[in-house]
Amino acid sequence: MNEYIEKINTLARDMGEVKIMEVCGGHTNTIMRYGIRDILPANIKLISGPGCPVCVTSQYDIDCAIELALGGVKLATYGDMIHVPGTKTSLLDARARGADVKVIYSADQIVGEKDRVFFAVGFETTTPMTATMLKNNIPVFCAHKLIPPAMKILVGEMNIQGFIDPGHVSTIIGSDIWGELNIPVPQVISGFKPEALVRATCILLELIKNKEVKVVNDYPEVVFGKGNLLAKKLIEETMKPVDAEWRGMGVIPGSGLAPRNELLDARIIYKDLFKNIVSREYPGCRCGEIVRGMVEPRECPFFGTVCTPENPQGACMVSESEGACAIAYKYGKSLAE
Amino acid sequence: MQLLINMGKALLNSSMDDKKECLTGNCPTPIEADVGSIRLSEGSGGREMQELISQIRSKLGAESDWKNTQDDAASIDFAGKKLVFTSDSYVVTPIFFPGGNIGKIAFCGTVNDLAVMGARPLGLSLSFVLEEGFSKKDFFSIVETIGELSKKHGVPIVTGDTKVVEHGSVDKIIINTSGVGSAEIILDEPLEVGDQIIVSGGIGEHGTALLARRFELETLIETDSKPLWDEINSVRGLIRQAKDVTRGGLAAILNEIAEKNGKQFLINEEKIPIEHEVRALTEVLGIELYNLACEGRFVCIASHKNSDEVVQKLKQFNKHACVVGEVLDGKNVIVQTRFGKKVLNMPHGNIVPRIC
Repeated sequence: MNEYIEKINTLARDMGEVKIMEVCGGHTNTIMRYGIRDILPANIKLISGPGCPVCVTSQYDIDCAIELALGGVKLATYGDMIHVPGTKTSLLDARARGADVKVIYSADQIVGEKDRVFFAVGFETTTPMTATMLKNNIPVFCAHKLIPPAMKILVGEMNIQGFIDPGHVSTIIGSDIWGELNIPVPQVISGFKPEALVRATCILLELIKNKEVKVVNDYPEVVFGKGNLLAKKLIEETMKPVDAEWRGMGVIPGSGLAPRNELLDARIIYKDLFKNIVSREYPGCRCGEIVRGMVEPRECPFFGTVCTPENPQGACMVSESEGACAIAYKYGKSLAE
Repeated sequence: MQLLINMGKALLNSSMDDKKECLTGNCPTPIEADVGSIRLSEGSGGREMQELISQIRSKLGAESDWKNTQDDAASIDFAGKKLVFTSDSYVVTPIFFPGGNIGKIAFCGTVNDLAVMGARPLGLSLSFVLEEGFSKKDFFSIVETIGELSKKHGVPIVTGDTKVVEHGSVDKIIINTSGVGSAEIILDEPLEVGDQIIVSGGIGEHGTALLARRFELETLIETDSKPLWDEINSVRGLIRQAKDVTRGGLAAILNEIAEKNGKQFLINEEKIPIEHEVRALTEVLGIELYNLACEGRFVCIASHKNSDEVVQKLKQFNKHACVVGEVLDGKNVIVQTRFGKKVLNMPHGNIVPRIC
């Protein structure tokens, strides 16, 4: 491991400021847990990207899910989603008030419950599960996001010089696709161990220095060129690409998915319930800038004061495993505090 | 009131623009969690549970001769010894898991709360709240588990109660056990700088067994649940304090002991015994392994001089027992990782696997 750290130090000596974005929230977790940012040279910046499903889900979509639950529709979703604050309340509080909101981790937990709507979030990693639900005729409120279109926007806007590509997403979509995106900076697909992320940083610095724009698959034990063909086929059969609204990034063309079968699309089935929703983010909340890597969690005035994991005001403070603010709260306490 | 304090804090920390907005009376009102209802996270062994308990205490608050009322079990002088008393209720999903069932943790949990105080368990009460329709076969399997443990460890069940409630009122079964023990000396000696922090075996195995069953993952890991009196009895003359690792895992327990004693704990992460499968499962699910529950492990603190002997004795029960850290002046639990030092925070909320 020390050889990579030494090499990073040597490479960094002749470089100016280098911004590398780790796209995936799981990577941010490892980086913060092991204090990897602290051991990198000051001019090498690792910036957290949008790869937290809870964080990038738009306020409107969260409000829609809450509206469904309060409107008497049985709902199922992932654990962290119930804590995300909507404009007025959260699914957790809706449940405390009697709404039927079931936390699930696997499609078969609700297969057979045809009147329960699955509030689907997540990137390519979780789309096969949603596809399985649709195959089983379970209606879906689909807030899935696709990572590559967002990266194309961020690379220009944020002056990113290299990407650490998400490992789990890549297991589904494969490594080939990253090279087909015409992103003008090098990318390394990385695993989740701290050593892997240090190595990915080292590889990127070398590529940046040599002005080589290519994709290195440094997670070949689980990421293959074409990805998971079975999962991709299932997704293609059940869902179609649509424009999607991201928190902090607005509507990105072709960055979302919707059920092909409109009879299973909860956005269409329950459209009357959503008519009067007026969504508003918590004023002053900087989640939108945080998911784009523009500011650090601690730069938000509410971090750790009004906004804590117990009572999150912004979506980035919810997921301890993927949300930049919750991770910073958990692992970012300085030794002097 | 808390809302006002929070808003004040936000004001102090916010940028000029935000301050202006607040000063003109337009400070955004935080979305408060529904404080009128009990939240699930208030029972998860973390900070929110501590807050709830202190609120409960403030409403009770009668003075008495009982001591250690903030600890795992309370004590009182009685017939030249210390009488030690504790109570705990048990709910777990699933009720049967690799290596045990809810009955096992109901027996062991209460025995262990007495044991970590240095008290020999004398007897337990056993009470059930059962859901109408719950399988009798499962119920008696749980009762038999408790009976076998009681005989094997010489801790009799001496009293109890059984209630049956309507279907849907509880999830199958709730067990309460209370226990009485006796001790010559309560394990509550002040800590000193340089004292060694010892764990009695691999951590997180109970939590892993539960999660594996919940997510239908195959694992050879079984619950670590077991009564700890024999282990603690073998070292109780050599240690200053002990605490069993339960909900909230190692992170919660280390923070509790450090905070109670006003000391800093420096933990060497590489030394913490963790089975490969426990680590693998936490990585798959994206869960912090120091937050995983144990039901048959404890942390104890011994002087530097005694620590080797303590470890040698504990190794007779579990070969993974070892020193994991040291007591320093200051505050917080600091973990030395392979890459640098990090503060290990008190866990909060429920354990939730990552989405992506």
